[in-house]
Amino acid sequence: MKMYVATIPGEALKVRSKESYYARQKKLFVLLVIVVSIMPLLIISWTSSHFYRHSWQRQTSLALASLAESRLEVVNLFLENQENLLAGLVDLYALEKLADQDQLQQVFEAVNHSGVIVDLGVIDRQGRHLSYVGPFRQQLLARNYAESEWFREAMANGRYVSDVFQGFRGVPHFVVAVTASDRSWVLRATINSELFNSLLQSAEVGPGGDAFIINAKGELQTPSRLGLSTMPREELAALTGTGAPRILFSRDFIHVAAGVKNNAWLLILKTDIHTSLAEFYRARNRDRLIIAAAALTILMVATLLVRSMVGQIEKADRQRLVMSNRMRQAEKMALVGRLAASVAHEINNPLQIVGDQAGWVEELLEGEGASNAENLAEYRKASAKIREQVKRASTITHRLLGFSRKEGERVATDINRVLEESLSFLETEAQKHRISFRKELAAELAPAVTDASQLQQVFLNIINNAIDAIGEDGVITVTTGSAAERIKIEFTDSGPGLPPENLGRIFDPLFTTKELGSGTGLGLSISYNIMQRLGGDIQAGNNSGGGSVFTVHIPAAVGTLANSA
Amino acid sequence: MHPTNLLIVDDEQDFVATLLKRLQRRGIACRGALTGSEALDCFRQEYFDTVLLDMKLPDLDGNTVLRGIKKIRPATRVLILTGHASYSSGREGLSEGAADYLLKPVEFETLLEKLLFGTAKHSRGSPEQEHW
Repeated sequence: MKMYVATIPGEALKVRSKESYYARQKKLFVLLVIVVSIMPLLIISWTSSHFYRHSWQRQTSLALASLAESRLEVVNLFLENQENLLAGLVDLYALEKLADQDQLQQVFEAVNHSGVIVDLGVIDRQGRHLSYVGPFRQQLLARNYAESEWFREAMANGRYVSDVFQGFRGVPHFVVAVTASDRSWVLRATINSELFNSLLQSAEVGPGGDAFIINAKGELQTPSRLGLSTMPREELAALTGTGAPRILFSRDFIHVAAGVKNNAWLLILKTDIHTSLAEFYRARNRDRLIIAAAALTILMVATLLVRSMVGQIEKADRQRLVMSNRMRQAEKMALVGRLAASVAHEINNPLQIVGDQAGWVEELLEGEGASNAENLAEYRKASAKIREQVKRASTITHRLLGFSRKEGERVATDINRVLEESLSFLETEAQKHRISFRKELAAELAPAVTDASQLQQVFLNIINNAIDAIGEDGVITVTTGSAAERIKIEFTDSGPGLPPENLGRIFDPLFTTKELGSGTGLGLSISYNIMQRLGGDIQAGNNSGGGSVFTVHIPAAVGTLANSA
Repeated sequence: MHPTNLLIVDDEQDFVATLLKRLQRRGIACRGALTGSEALDCFRQEYFDTVLLDMKLPDLDGNTVLRGIKKIRPATRVLILTGHASYSSGREGLSEGAADYLLKPVEFETLLEKLLFGTAKHSRGSPEQEHW
């Protein structure tokens, strides 16, 4: 397999090894952006949410407390009204008048427009009913209250408001009793619990809330909306007290408690935290959505920015690498050129002497005549061989000198003509291997001011390599064209192409894939040097359709009057 | 034109000695010099119509010797033969009036022809266009 390859050496390999580095940089930058932009967003969101929740709760509890205060007033006022009403009646009428059933009936109708008072009774000092107005006349008239708690309290304190109790009526009610100033009799009223309850039912404590009154034993005086029958002991303990409304936060509720009826009862308002915070939750969820959208946007923009930024850096690095590789290659070639030339120079002198000595021996042998006829022919043959080998060595040293050859004469050159000439030199060789040339030469190609003979050396090198690469049967296509003030010459062959592992070394001196002895590995190396000197370049690669492609660029002459250098 | 006297200037003693022997064997009058100053001395003492001059001499630069010779007798034919070829020095030599520029090693026959008749084509040392 004979092949030649080329490209900028080593570059692909190095760039690949750096890929993970760029990926790391990308991740780092993105992370940084997230930390500096998204984290504050989250912190602000969290703290403000916390703050708003707190203040919302506080507001809710304060609203609840003020609600409790207003209910408290209403309840107290209601109780006072009933007491005052009875006290007024006691003061206004004499016992004789109220003890009379008909008279009491009149008074009852006069004061009970609202229907709050269920019944009204007058009881004497011994606890006996003197008169009674209300639905339970038959049951109550015979009843003696002397042992009842309310009666004793009323007799002792002058006024009494009972807890709510079922009594024997089977309906929750409570009693208000007021005694005459001389304690000789008591006016007693049963208050409609329903109307009393409605005062609390109307309290706006929200869907999950509750409003009720309990007595000192924790018994509910008004029905609980939530269906509670007693108050949990620990809540009661926490809420019991006097003075301003007390606020208690539990896991699900905010409680507000305030004393009613001189702190004998406790008004309790409860509201469900979660229900009352519903609006706050809605606002918080909306904020979270906005923050998530903002974070997502930041993330996307950051990723895109970082990707493009790191991409730019990577591109710049790659270009720098290519440039430095090119420079290193050029330096290497120049060094090799000097070395090769100096070696060639040193060898030329001994070669001259070796050849001359062999010639001298030959001359002398002729003079010797047939004195030793047997070996004479062998001597001559040996001498001829020496001279032949000297000649062979000299072709190599002379070629090495091509490395250091300085400026030749530069004249306006028709590149197409140089190509035609080069191809004609190799026509016979190509035909021998059944290889045909295809010429696709641009008709109006600008001339190049260059050293035609050196350029021809380059062309011959490339075509020769192509012939060797193809072996037998194939096509070599030569294309010329102009590209940005340069002339582009492309040599495409139908050979097997260049193995990728050789692409980096193909222009290195002494690199060859040809069989030992058939190639020096100098051809492309010298071609590279020549193209550098001529201000052009040479590149090697593979055709997408198989086979190798060598591309040579040479500066075109500027203007039309480029006749000579 | 048959040269009557040849001067061979080269620091390689073996080269000079062998060449002188082979030339003398053909009846050609010649003389050798190993340094530039020796060459100029010889040139002042004797008449040489042709000089074979190496470009790299231990004492003097080949082109200096060339200029010296041309100064003394401008009509002298000078052939440059060197192993240390470079285009600049070769071109300088040719512009100073050297008749030809040869790169070592050169076949004796070719060299002889050039020395005696100067017939071989002006090659300028531009090497082979054979392929490798």
